[in-house]
Amino acid sequence: MTDAPTPTATDPIAPATLRLAAALVGVIAGAIVVILTVIWFVTTRGYYWPIWVVLPLALVTAVVAWVAWVLSSPAERTWLSLGVTITGGIYAAVLGCLTGVWALTTRSYFWPIWPVLGLGAVWVVHAAVVRLLVPHSDMHDRIIALTSTRSAAIDAQEAELRRIERDLHDGAQARIVALGMTIGMAEQKLASDPEGARRLLAEARGGATEALDELRDLARGIRPPVLQDRGLAAAVSELALRSPLDVRVQADLPRLPPAVESAAYFVVAEALANAAKHGGPTHIAVRLATSGPDLVAEVTDDGRGGANPNGAGLTGLRHRVEALDGRLFVVSPPGGPTVIRADIPFRS
Amino acid sequence: MRVVIAEDLALLRDGLTRLLRDNDVEVVAAVADGTELVAAVEAHRPDVAIVDIRLPPTFHDEGLRAALEAREKVPTTAILIVSQYIEQTYTAELLAGGRAGVGYLLKDRIFNVAEFVSAVHRVAEGGTALDPEVVAQLFSRRRGSAIDELSEREREVLALMAEGKSNAAIADALVLTVGAVEKHIANIFTKLGLAPSGNDHRRVLAVLAYLSRPE
Repeated sequence: MTDAPTPTATDPIAPATLRLAAALVGVIAGAIVVILTVIWFVTTRGYYWPIWVVLPLALVTAVVAWVAWVLSSPAERTWLSLGVTITGGIYAAVLGCLTGVWALTTRSYFWPIWPVLGLGAVWVVHAAVVRLLVPHSDMHDRIIALTSTRSAAIDAQEAELRRIERDLHDGAQARIVALGMTIGMAEQKLASDPEGARRLLAEARGGATEALDELRDLARGIRPPVLQDRGLAAAVSELALRSPLDVRVQADLPRLPPAVESAAYFVVAEALANAAKHGGPTHIAVRLATSGPDLVAEVTDDGRGGANPNGAGLTGLRHRVEALDGRLFVVSPPGGPTVIRADIPFRS
Repeated sequence: MRVVIAEDLALLRDGLTRLLRDNDVEVVAAVADGTELVAAVEAHRPDVAIVDIRLPPTFHDEGLRAALEAREKVPTTAILIVSQYIEQTYTAELLAGGRAGVGYLLKDRIFNVAEFVSAVHRVAEGGTALDPEVVAQLFSRRRGSAIDELSEREREVLALMAEGKSNAAIADALVLTVGAVEKHIANIFTKLGLAPSGNDHRRVLAVLAYLSRPE
């Protein structure tokens, strides 16, 4: 787990338990009131003195019911904000009780105004301090966002690892098995059919080169060597050269953290691949620059447009970019042009 | 001898077909998934079905499922599973029921063409062909049992027996006389408490049953 303390959301306590507690308190209070009323009825029967027990009991029952209701509600909140809510309710209950007392006694000058103002002020200060010290809703939103991008990042990594395993199995490994078969056959024929054996060995040599090419492609799909050696601008320039389309690259960048460069590289690579596959564009412009705290990687093509921002490739890119707290924008109206842009913060 | 091949990668399907044809094995059908395999076995009734364990759609163990299903339908078909990895659970399933005419080989075994072709023949005739890797895994599972009582030489003989090799082939591999091999086998069976059985195939199954018995 992380070193920095993170505020945790509360789990709602089992609603059944809370309601049971509140109900129990209510029942006991009710029983006491009933007993006292019976006593009053049987004895004095004049001025309803049990009211002085009813009022505080009502206060206690109201407070317990309020706390139970707040704690059992399913909304996610931090303890600090809960504290504000609960004390607010308690103050209200107390003030209600005092108003009840006023109603039953003096009834001239509304003296409860003073506790109202006092408790009100205390509560406002409490709420303000909590809000200032702990920007609670921001932190809360952040936790939710981080949890979701983390699980998206984990899924994306799983999918990536599966892809690599399949590529290895079907590509390089298969070629090497085929290579082994060819060499085995050549071995068999060496004495009886040397010309046939020679042909098989030539075939095997070709197979070895193909296996190496498969492995090179796979490595490039994981982490291109040129990206590591010479950085994002150089790697993107190479992408541009290798693309069959006309790609202009405009880059003005220092070296950036490897994860950021890697994510930007794959955004550009995917954008170029999509353009080549669907759009039918003639010109593509790639812009790499820093803008404030962000690296901006923007690919514009003048093709047909209509790219699906929720397609598999772009969704994978979005997860990759968001895992680094970046944002991916896809603007692709039918008829073009298409703009794919990633903003990725690079300062930690 | 007639075989059906099931392998989804065209490169390997064609390579295997060529290799077998070059060695006087008739490939009557070469298919790319489990459903086609079952259909081909029913249609052609081959001696052996050589099946990659990983086939579409999920590339998990469709090959094994389809091969077992094909054998349900045509019980005379022998099954030779080839794979890029060995998984113990599949071994158990393949050997379940003590049916002979089974094999489980790593694709590496194909590189030694003569041995591979002889394994295919052996399986077609109702014998077994287990990859030495498979046998090694079975052995390691039985560590701490009577296997530890066997001498080094006896363990070697047992391993080759489990692979499905005949006495003659074992003698060849270990540079012994057939008589010496037979003596070792008798000792092994006594030490493991197995009833000696004359029939080659039965004794392999006895050994494999012993080795794959859960602890």
